[in-house]
Amino acid sequence: MKLTTYFSERGAAPPAFIEGVRDIVGPDNVSQKECDLISYSLDYWLYGILLSKDGKLPSLPSAIVSPGTTEEVQEVLRLANRFEVPVTPFGGGSGVLGGAVPLGGEVVLNLQRMNRFMSLDETSMVAEAEAGIIGGNLERELNHRGYAMGNIPQSLYCSTLGGWIATRAVGQFSTKYGKIEDMVLGMEAVLPTGELLKVKPVPRRSVGPSLMELLLGSEGIMGIVTKAVVSVHPLPESTVKESFVLDSVAAALDVVRRVMRAEARPAVVRIFDDSESERYFPEIGRRVTVIFIIEGEKDLVARDTEVVRRIASEGGGEARGEAPVDIWLRKRFDIGLGPMIMQHGGVVDTIEVVSLFKDAKALYDDMLASMKAVEGALEVSGHFSHFYKEGACLYITFAGLPKDAHRYYLDTWNAAMEATLRHNGSISHHHGIGFWRTRYMNRELGDTGVELLRRLRQAADPNSIMNRGKVVDAG
Amino acid sequence: MLDKQELQALTNCALCANMCKYTCPIYLASGSETLSPQKIARLILYEDKDLLEDRQGFFDVVFSSAMCGACSRHCIYEAYDLRKFIQKARSKAHREGALPEETRKRLETFREFGNPNGERQLVDEGTSTAGYFLSCSGYKDEGVLRAMRRIVEASGQQVRIFGGADICCGAPLYYAGDTDGFEGAARKMAADIREKGLDRVIVDCPNCMRMMTKVYPEVGVDLQAEVIHTSEFLLGLLREGRIEVRKESARATYHDPCILANDFHITEAPRAILGELGFELQEPAYSENHAHCCGGPAGARIGHAGLADKVRTMRIAELKQTEAEVYASACPTCKAVLSESGIKDVTELVAERIVNGPGQARA
Repeated sequence: MKLTTYFSERGAAPPAFIEGVRDIVGPDNVSQKECDLISYSLDYWLYGILLSKDGKLPSLPSAIVSPGTTEEVQEVLRLANRFEVPVTPFGGGSGVLGGAVPLGGEVVLNLQRMNRFMSLDETSMVAEAEAGIIGGNLERELNHRGYAMGNIPQSLYCSTLGGWIATRAVGQFSTKYGKIEDMVLGMEAVLPTGELLKVKPVPRRSVGPSLMELLLGSEGIMGIVTKAVVSVHPLPESTVKESFVLDSVAAALDVVRRVMRAEARPAVVRIFDDSESERYFPEIGRRVTVIFIIEGEKDLVARDTEVVRRIASEGGGEARGEAPVDIWLRKRFDIGLGPMIMQHGGVVDTIEVVSLFKDAKALYDDMLASMKAVEGALEVSGHFSHFYKEGACLYITFAGLPKDAHRYYLDTWNAAMEATLRHNGSISHHHGIGFWRTRYMNRELGDTGVELLRRLRQAADPNSIMNRGKVVDAG
Repeated sequence: MLDKQELQALTNCALCANMCKYTCPIYLASGSETLSPQKIARLILYEDKDLLEDRQGFFDVVFSSAMCGACSRHCIYEAYDLRKFIQKARSKAHREGALPEETRKRLETFREFGNPNGERQLVDEGTSTAGYFLSCSGYKDEGVLRAMRRIVEASGQQVRIFGGADICCGAPLYYAGDTDGFEGAARKMAADIREKGLDRVIVDCPNCMRMMTKVYPEVGVDLQAEVIHTSEFLLGLLREGRIEVRKESARATYHDPCILANDFHITEAPRAILGELGFELQEPAYSENHAHCCGGPAGARIGHAGLADKVRTMRIAELKQTEAEVYASACPTCKAVLSESGIKDVTELVAERIVNGPGQARA
């Protein structure tokens, strides 16, 4: 028995290119060993993970190149342009849409050696780190010094700062601390041509379109972020945990909408539908649970807590205190069920979308019904998180035990995306596009939007070497 | 081949999102995804299914692990320990004669001298049912042995100090995958302790402690003696007033030995000792259950010296950030590996500050 690949055979980079990159990054930092090729062949695209258990991989990259400095990244990309060798950047490998998968056996540019915490400026409340630092370690370094960045995605312990920027990531405490685009104040990035782009850290600027926005969410197609300066916060002086139980998703959405309208700033707000409530909080059962974490300076926390309690009570919420919040805090990184289901042939995945409040309930109903109608579906459940004054992210988890896994996976995704588009939603809130979602991009952005992205990509990457097959086709 | 239950546990790990990799010192120091826990699990799974072509490359990966236990400490699956599977793969490498060169050389030394150091004197001092086992790292570090002798003398306690020659817990054999050799060493150690009539063994090396308390039972060896770490023994002496120490006003940073923190959760006793000595503790960003190993645990040291050196450099930099006046640990291996930082064993710090004479206890 041997490993099999389903997208392409193992890639082959020209020997002269391999020799050249060895000179740039050192021989120990270039590998064509089988174990390395396997390890960088896949990120956390869950259908790929399912197939990987039987030795089926998307493709094997032609080589793994691990630079240690921004200058080395520049030199490697210059050389890749000279040889027209395609390159796939690899951060923490935690992306769930296949953004770091070398679809055609590309050379993988591994950024995980560049993982240093660099500095903290307590006067300006900013910190600088290399892009390959794991989020949990960035947060630990800051917490140790009395600060927090506050970007706490479920992938905190396996994703990187650079990966967060590349996918426009969002953490669980986003309602107070913002999303990654709100946190990044400056960056150093290497363009696909090898040129260096430096954006100095300032709170805001008016100097033409934001260059950082070209990198935020670009998933490597516009360049590789190597360092970033991010905004930080003092560790909270006070934390309040509140929870409420309601009888419907609509009632819960209305409570949170009114909290946001009142401009209270809870850090965490989550609405769990009846299925997720039952799964997380068995003692609550099949009802709808809303949890809040309000943290920060104690007087402000007290004021926001009062607002949350009043609005929740007016909206019919039964107060359940801290216990459900503590349960969620304990379980929030536990993804252990997914691998267990996959071991038994089950298909699991998550889909996060976003809409305005006016569409949120209808979108939820339609997505659930459409996804449950797919043959082989076992469970579809959802929660709302990452709230704004105008709307919220809807996060759906699904599992199926179908006869045809690929058919089920594709049909379920199609059902979810169609429902999202029907209700004016956006097809991704924070997981990004990778390769898997590219098929829906024309519906999302329109032909003009996709074409504009293609032209921007072509301008930044004239030889089309960077992360082929991701976000939008190179054209 | 793995049995069904083992296969299920390993597959969960191989399909997980690598949620523990942030704490893996080998991954962090190398920046290599291949050496992160979930990828090692996937490779072991593939090897078990006979899907790999490059067996030597695979064995190089499993011999790159520090075996420090950080991943299992932070695992989302209860009671899962990736080291068990790495160990099985190492045993396979040993059976196939595919050990990395550095490991093979160390095994040769062990076979000739019965220990990983080479020729050495037998140490056997005093008579008591309580023994202090001098580990291989402790033997090489005369400072730790001298300190323990001084403490034992001052406390008036009867402790039989033994070790050296071919008395070894067998850890080097275990980590090299030599299962039979390890079992032999475990039986020999048990016989030695029985022969000496010891009912309590104080150990300075957390790895020896892991072998004696957690791994010996797996090969059917019962030591029939209580095993405690030096730090627990020393803290007892200080708290019972059996040794009197001069207090210091200085800032100290304690490096948690990986096995002591991850396998035994002993993080408080060494800190309490430093507190008894009057030190003000300055914690590094990565400490207690998030401490990174020194780069010298049996796992990494016997496999790849270059990789161990990267871990060592990373750990020294982390410790140095505290700018403490004194650096301390509770493992002679950590002390040897991190010597560049001027680190001392807590045993030495205690001995240097003893003010009472032999047996002149306060209480």
